[in-house]
Amino acid sequence: MAVAATEARAVAPAPKLLKDAALTALVALVLALPLIGLQTVDAGGGGLAIRTHFDRVAYGVAAVFLGRLLLGWWGAIRAARPARDAPAVAERLGRIVSRFSHPLAIAGIAFAVALPFLPFSSRYVVDLGTTVLIYVMLGWGLNIVVGLAGLLDLGYVAFYAVGAYTIGLLARNFGFGFWEALPLSGLVAASFGLVLGFPVLRLRGDYLAIVTLGFGEIIRIVLTNWTAVTGGPNGIGDIPRPTFFGLPLERSAPKGVTTFAQFFGIDFQAEHRVWFLYFVILGLALITNFFARRIRRLPIGRAWEALREDEIACRALGINATNTKLSAFAIGAMFGGFAGCFFGARQGFISPESFSFMQSAIILAIVVLGGMGSQMGVVLAALVLICLPELGRGLAEFRMLAFGAAMVLIMVWRPGGLLSRRRPAILLHGAAGPPSPQGAG
Amino acid sequence: MPESAALLEVEHLTMRFGGLVAIEDLSFTALHGEITAMIGPNGAGKTTVFNCITGFYKASAGRIALHGKRGDFLLERMEGFRIAKLAGVARTFQNIRLFAGMTALENLLVAQHEALQRASIFTIGGLVGLPGFRRAESAAIERARHWLAKVGLVDCADLAAGNLPYGAQRRLEIARAMCTEPTLLCLDEPAAGLNPRESHALNRLLLDIRDEAKIGILLIEHDMSVVMGISDRIVVLDYGRKIADGTPQAVRSDPAVIKAYLGEAEATADATPC
Repeated sequence: MAVAATEARAVAPAPKLLKDAALTALVALVLALPLIGLQTVDAGGGGLAIRTHFDRVAYGVAAVFLGRLLLGWWGAIRAARPARDAPAVAERLGRIVSRFSHPLAIAGIAFAVALPFLPFSSRYVVDLGTTVLIYVMLGWGLNIVVGLAGLLDLGYVAFYAVGAYTIGLLARNFGFGFWEALPLSGLVAASFGLVLGFPVLRLRGDYLAIVTLGFGEIIRIVLTNWTAVTGGPNGIGDIPRPTFFGLPLERSAPKGVTTFAQFFGIDFQAEHRVWFLYFVILGLALITNFFARRIRRLPIGRAWEALREDEIACRALGINATNTKLSAFAIGAMFGGFAGCFFGARQGFISPESFSFMQSAIILAIVVLGGMGSQMGVVLAALVLICLPELGRGLAEFRMLAFGAAMVLIMVWRPGGLLSRRRPAILLHGAAGPPSPQGAG
Repeated sequence: MPESAALLEVEHLTMRFGGLVAIEDLSFTALHGEITAMIGPNGAGKTTVFNCITGFYKASAGRIALHGKRGDFLLERMEGFRIAKLAGVARTFQNIRLFAGMTALENLLVAQHEALQRASIFTIGGLVGLPGFRRAESAAIERARHWLAKVGLVDCADLAAGNLPYGAQRRLEIARAMCTEPTLLCLDEPAAGLNPRESHALNRLLLDIRDEAKIGILLIEHDMSVVMGISDRIVVLDYGRKIADGTPQAVRSDPAVIKAYLGEAEATADATPC
């Protein structure tokens, strides 16, 4: 009797699982029927004919049915013995990474510095590294706004665009070089941050996200349509590349200007420029990181975190919430502007296409997947998100699918982000813990 | 500032929410160096009075004057955060509002934001590590340690505030309010959810704060052992009106109070209201 009862209980979820899988399959059928099942083909003479692929629909729906069934079955098994599940493993991993974050950071920086000189390195690898570092820098910048101050900003790419167009316009109209334009790009982006922040910071959460999303689009549309100033969809070209203390890294320079290669008496190589750009962005990213880590220990950074935790309590403690939020917005925007300035100088050409919402989404994904507020997590997530589509170029159009799947997996596996442990910025007792053995009461 | 001079003068305070009159023509005075309790049945408008004093609500009518050590202020004309920053009114909340993800120490340092921010010359000095900022920071940590010791939480300084036990969170919130160096401390049901031993310790802590920091305390409380044990003066509200005002002995024997409140409350004096 008792055995039968347990068996009955164990079997009981089976119909439920089947029903669940059937429902999922039905949804898949509804979606797949028009998307996969019907294909329009050229019937000749300018007409279109419909070809049906119901066999493919059937395969797809069967795969969804079986997949859902297996997933549910696996979930039921896992629920039965929760002793050793993935989140616990991930949690342990996160703890290890946060404990060894110092040596890991040093090793990471050493690797980043050595990257161009490693045997497997090539021009492509260094170029990819530059792209990753731009996103790492953007991630660290956005982390100030989202991770520290808790303001969900979906339009961060707007500040990136402002930075890039600042150098573009200054170079085209006033002959500015990269290094002169860099501080101005940050300043202009920060002022845009203030202008946006001022009216919208009374909004919270989702509402703020929607307004910032709109702001990002406004900037992009203005850039596209204000042809007289921004060049519209044609963009701005001929942005000067960064110089090495005034020495351009070009094959030939105009009269009176010594190139980098001539000055050091070496042969010109295009790799030098790629390496140099790589080290410039590495430096900029490290400055961003230094700033972000440093500011957490300062009163303003602490106030940002407090504001994220509880705005009402902040007001009761005499903190001016509006100004504090504005400062977070402006400083985050400033780093976006720096990164944009570098992007413009690196590409030599900018157009509104580079600043689509997709960019904002990727930067935000880097921050969220990495674990909000985690510096190391941003690096890890940027590596995953930028390298994965690059490595997956062989997958052609499926790489975005793989990208999405990877994001879903990370969120299932570790909903708080890859590394989401918060480390206190200041300790009373130091790392050793309180002197007396009894801890919390 | 002479003892028993008026610290907070509330005159003809009225607060309306649409058609609902939450507080009607309320006047009372809280004195320097005294604990003034505000009691009354649920919904009597006690927390609304707090919200008017601390600037979370704008009073519909009336005057709230504070004569503190930092000068005289008309609180009803000030923005919420300025009341805490300039006038020196600190408060705690009925439902605890700590910065749950931050450590106890960080909570107390956020409370000293203003002084630290000024010492860091609005972040720039702090970024380059000026010695003046370092001194201010260690002074802030010392003050935090002092208050952690007062509320018995030194060992928990580096733990996340949200993970502390309930009683510890209540005490930490008081310590955080005290770190702003207030002139007037407003406590909204500090003994709610505490067991008798804890609320006894709270009594001692509040008396200690009153006598040592020499500030006025305004207290909303349902726990009669706290109210009667430590208050110098009690204001009784019912339906947004003041029905009694005086020493604990006078209020205890006031027929209007007994009718409105104490008559029922005596039976549940030790229970923990929510």
